Amino acid sequence: MGIAPEAQVETIAPHEARDAGTARTIEKDSLIGKRIAKLDAPDKASGKTRYIHDMNLPGQLHGKILHSTRVHALIKRIDTSKAKALPGVHAVITAEDVPYQRPLGVSKDHMPLKGDRVRSMRDEIAAVAADTPEIAEAALKLIEVEYEDLPPLYNVAEAMKPGAPVLHDQKPDNVAMTFDYSHGDVVQGEAESDVVFEDTFKLHYVTHCCMGVSGVIADFDSAGGLMLYSQTQVPFLHKREFAEILGIDPGRIRIVQPPIGGGFGSKLDIYPFEPIAIFLAKATRRPVKLIFSREQEFRISPTRQPVLLTLRSGAKKDGTLTFRTATTLHDNGAYTSWGATTPFVIMQTISSLYRVPHCKYHTTAVYTNNPYAGSFRGYGNLQATFAVEQHMDKIAEAIGMDPLAFRLKNAQDPGETTGQGMHFKSCGFKDCLRTVAERGDYLRKHAENIANQAKPERYKRGVGMASMLHVGGGAKIYPSDGCGTIVKIDDFAHVTVMTGASEIGQGSETVIAQLVCEELGVPMEAVTVVNNDTDVKPWDVGVHASRTTFIAGNSALGAARKARDKILAVAAKATGYDASALDLRQGTIVMAGTGEAIVPLAKLLRSLHFSEKADLVMTTHYYEPPSEHQDKGFKGDVSAAYAWASQVIEVVVDTDTGIVKMEKVWGAHDVGRVLNRLGIEGQIEGGVVMGQGYALTEELIVEDGVVKNPAFRDYKLVTAPEIPEMDVTFIESMDGEGPRGAKGVGEAPAICIAAATANAIYNATGVRIQTLPYTPENVYRALKGVNR
Amino acid sequence: MSTNIEIRFTVNGSPRTVAVPPEMSALNMLREVIGLTGTKYGCGEGECGACTILVDGMSVNSCLLFAVDCDGRKLTTVEGVVNEPAGARVRDAFVQAGAVQCGFCTPGFVVQAAHLIDTHGSKLDPETIKRGIEGNLCRCTGYKKIVEAITAAAQEAR
Amino acid sequence: MTVEHYYAPKHLDEALEVLRAGNATILAGGTDVMPQSESGKTPLRKTLVNIRRIAELTGIRLAKNEVRIGALTTISEMMANDLIRKHFPILAESGDHFASEQIRNAGTLGGNVCNASPAGDTLVPMLALDAVVELAAKPNGSVETHTTPLGSFLVGPGKTRRAQGELLVAIRIPVPPAGQVQRFFKFGTRPALDISAIAIGLAAVKTKGVLSHVRLAYGAVAPAIMRGSKTEAVLEGKRLTPELIEQAAQAAHDEVKPISDVRASDWYRRELMHNIVKRMLIDVHEH
Ligand SMILES: Cc1cc2nc3c(=O)[nH]c(=O)nc-3n(C[C@H](O)[C@H](O)[C@H](O)COP(=O)(O)OP(=O)(O)OC[C@H]3O[C@@H](n4cnc5c(N)ncnc54)[C@H](O)[C@@H]3O)c2cc1C
Ligand code: FES
Ligand code: FES
Repeated sequence: MGIAPEAQVETIAPHEARDAGTARTIEKDSLIGKRIAKLDAPDKASGKTRYIHDMNLPGQLHGKILHSTRVHALIKRIDTSKAKALPGVHAVITAEDVPYQRPLGVSKDHMPLKGDRVRSMRDEIAAVAADTPEIAEAALKLIEVEYEDLPPLYNVAEAMKPGAPVLHDQKPDNVAMTFDYSHGDVVQGEAESDVVFEDTFKLHYVTHCCMGVSGVIADFDSAGGLMLYSQTQVPFLHKREFAEILGIDPGRIRIVQPPIGGGFGSKLDIYPFEPIAIFLAKATRRPVKLIFSREQEFRISPTRQPVLLTLRSGAKKDGTLTFRTATTLHDNGAYTSWGATTPFVIMQTISSLYRVPHCKYHTTAVYTNNPYAGSFRGYGNLQATFAVEQHMDKIAEAIGMDPLAFRLKNAQDPGETTGQGMHFKSCGFKDCLRTVAERGDYLRKHAENIANQAKPERYKRGVGMASMLHVGGGAKIYPSDGCGTIVKIDDFAHVTVMTGASEIGQGSETVIAQLVCEELGVPMEAVTVVNNDTDVKPWDVGVHASRTTFIAGNSALGAARKARDKILAVAAKATGYDASALDLRQGTIVMAGTGEAIVPLAKLLRSLHFSEKADLVMTTHYYEPPSEHQDKGFKGDVSAAYAWASQVIEVVVDTDTGIVKMEKVWGAHDVGRVLNRLGIEGQIEGGVVMGQGYALTEELIVEDGVVKNPAFRDYKLVTAPEIPEMDVTFIESMDGEGPRGAKGVGEAPAICIAAATANAIYNATGVRIQTLPYTPENVYRALKGVNR
Repeated sequence: MSTNIEIRFTVNGSPRTVAVPPEMSALNMLREVIGLTGTKYGCGEGECGACTILVDGMSVNSCLLFAVDCDGRKLTTVEGVVNEPAGARVRDAFVQAGAVQCGFCTPGFVVQAAHLIDTHGSKLDPETIKRGIEGNLCRCTGYKKIVEAITAAAQEAR
Repeated sequence: MTVEHYYAPKHLDEALEVLRAGNATILAGGTDVMPQSESGKTPLRKTLVNIRRIAELTGIRLAKNEVRIGALTTISEMMANDLIRKHFPILAESGDHFASEQIRNAGTLGGNVCNASPAGDTLVPMLALDAVVELAAKPNGSVETHTTPLGSFLVGPGKTRRAQGELLVAIRIPVPPAGQVQRFFKFGTRPALDISAIAIGLAAVKTKGVLSHVRLAYGAVAPAIMRGSKTEAVLEGKRLTPELIEQAAQAAHDEVKPISDVRASDWYRRELMHNIVKRMLIDVHEH
């Protein structure tokens, strides 16, 4: 149906509305800080949203992977003939069938399909594509594998012994990675100290438990181009990586990201199932869908990095911190994924959360035959904060200072540059501390609980405090930390924002739309965000490091501002007013001063489109934050802004059973500025409860390389009746670089919880527990002084 | 492969006749045979509630229900729940309260919430809600806004 | 093995007829059958008998001096029932700690008994309340029923004395004597959706501070739900004193035979037994 273009031409006369006597005024109204419902929520709440699990392509096959049944062994023989003969099976592949495969992972230390040797129970040996998942499953059972067991390494201590079996030939000492950092002179720092403490903290395995299990659909077009429906959080980085693993041109890879059922960092690395699905699609020339079961999700997904952290800290009697030395030992597992690189973040907390004049840091990540760790919301910071904040309490007690005053004395201020080179342009740390202390009535309760420790009551009450520092303006881990945006506005004033940033449920889509609406003066309903197709959207590093609101927000703002400028220029020309006298409100061009409506935006755009010099409003912007790539010594201002938070937690400990009940959490978060209050509250509440799980209930139990509790019945996520009351205050430090002053917050809320809980249990009972999690039995044992 | 059993039931008000293997779960039947994908698989073991549906008005985990046991019953999935005014109120309350993040758990919560409101009406208080949704796991929201959404929807139900 | 025959009989008679042929899996709410067959732990047999449409297996009635609970009674129905709430408050309470609402709506008491989990939550109060199970079979053409005390019916994890062709039709619990006190405790960090690390049921007649007819049942501390007979003996006929309570708590600690698993160590389970039995008795003493 075509309407002749001429028929649509609308011309605009100045003062059209006023002349017609229909002039109305539109007040300036801001969306910033409001409670804005998520754009994708109605479909999600109706069961309409199509996740990868819900997608089926015509002709699609189902892929399944055979995993190792040994922790460490040579593969002597694989016989797939029976599986291949099963009706309904279209392909059975092993490493032999994909000679072109290349290693993957952060250290490129394993192949998607392992050919000759397995190093963990999650190792992939063979894969099947079949008509149904059931047939594929049945085929897996028909594959015969003969192993020759090799001596296993179940822990770091064994792996570091001289003469231990070598897991990767290129690392004869089994050391996967080391990190060293220092500033100042810790020997001098120690000499100046009046008190010195050294403690070792033990952090456990936990896993992401995204409610939507992992999955992928791979499909090739007839010309050999790959279409991948993937849950990745970093599609553009993965284009390059997939190309390397598969030996194909990255330009031929298109990644589409259907909505995902949770990310939290779990989808930051390529794990073997994705290339394997691609191999199967290639072998069968059919689309192949591969979806995990929940048990697989537990067994073969990445974990949070288990860490043994030894912290040595000192202070003067007057409460000045003197030095800090941290040595961490990481169980790297069989291969290296992002978990191994958490020291990037751990060392920031060690060196820079508080002012530390002398600091030294060392990490050794050691290969074992255990599961391997990926990135997980907080990225090492939960572990680091757990240690640092317990030491803050310990030192305060030793020097007889109240724990709040001691923290305030050493807390960072705006404008400071730390020994590690982090420059805090905006910093609401002290405000955060004072706010939670006051709202939680921390000092009074703290003193009162100490007095109650000796009483014979069964239930003991405690309060604990902890704070955190995290990147809040991206993190320049890669040479670029940028994001691109394209904004186009159609003839009906509908705005499409094509952003590089992926939505993983965190609400970035809505914040981006909100920033664009604010700039263009259109209602939220007038905006569509396109964010899930690498052939459409511009480049972005990916969703990690709490960067999306900051980086993608700035990028979207830039593109929107250009669109705004263009619209106002067109309006100025059409109306004869100066552009600066005009504003955009509710889809209408108005007089900035009076709000008097001049012309609907849609009409203006059509007049532009169908004028003699026909044009559309389409703008682009690429934002690269003004941060630095760290030098070899890990120094540099890695983020364009830093986020701060403090939390006070009140617990009740049942000394008869060891049950710790988290009653209330007070949080104060320096978020720069609140953009979408609903969204940011949701991030914080969700993070608090995730932190609660880390502290109290969750543990992936790994014994002799085997996950012992691969089900929710024994891997306990927090349920609704257990959640604490939450009191959240936002500290708006108005970051100069952030989009309308905002900073990243995604990871912050989970970080302090375990640390504050540790301090609260100590306040309640006088017993300091340096090993997580605080399950009833672990707490009870600590109270009784009975080790496992 | 075992023989298929023919069963008849209604889903969201429409009568259906399907033939299913006796081992199949109602969850798989809904998703794979009938094509109603709003009901989610989160664990397949009754531990997460993502698969919650109503059977003759009672909420159950469809992953634990044998498809053949649906014979003669009335099934309501999230798609059907939000088609009714009461369910639409629940959905809107979830949207307005910010109770949806990744959204994967949401259909299960919406169905369970609709059931709770149906049984308790406006007497539904936050403590009862928390207990009522203890079989639904959410990894994103921390539950607070979910409880608020259900409280609001229950209030409106008056 | 894949299922070859599926039956959903409407009458007990028919069901027993099918069961007589053997090699059948009985299906009630399915909340155990489904996960156990999916995981391969207990594969489905050749015949699947869905008993959910058998009206004779439903309903809760007071008959003579006992309450008869139909095998198909769901946990939700049990909890809401006035007879249960009045006579067996700890049974209703155990339902409150049971799984989740969705599972309580589907899972049946008969299923909980026949699944015979050492951590079966309703079994603990039922054992403390002297429940018996009523079984039916059709060995030679006519329906025959008999009863067995719950304690001897449960043998070990997943094991009962139910014979091949038998169906559990009801659970019968005597109406409690006057002056009976009941207590139930399930250890968990959350109200429900938690597999018991330990569970304790207590029923006793309390007259002027003296306990008699003492029944203690323990869950998750032995291969099957067990009676705490040594602890009962310590308490029977005695006046509750702090010393006696400590003695009883110690007896409970000593008489259980727990295992260590991912949920708890044997040591911790024993500690809990001691501490909780003690708290329970103090509570009984004080109220
Ligand atoms: C997530 C989850 C949480 C759970 N939490 C708990 C909990 O907290 N506490 C607890 O005790 N249990 C729990 N269970 C176990 C289960 O829900 C209960 O055991 C339930 O009572 C079983 O009843 P059902 O009707 O579903 O049994 P089904 O699964 O149908 O049957 C269970 C077993 O009993 C047999 N059977 C059933 N009825 C009869 C009969 N009338 N005669 C003979 N044999 C019969 C079946 O063949 C089968 O072997 C949980 C299960 C799940 C999946
Ligand atoms: S999928 Fe049914 S409860 Fe998790
Ligand atoms: S919103 Fe993501 S699991 Fe609930």
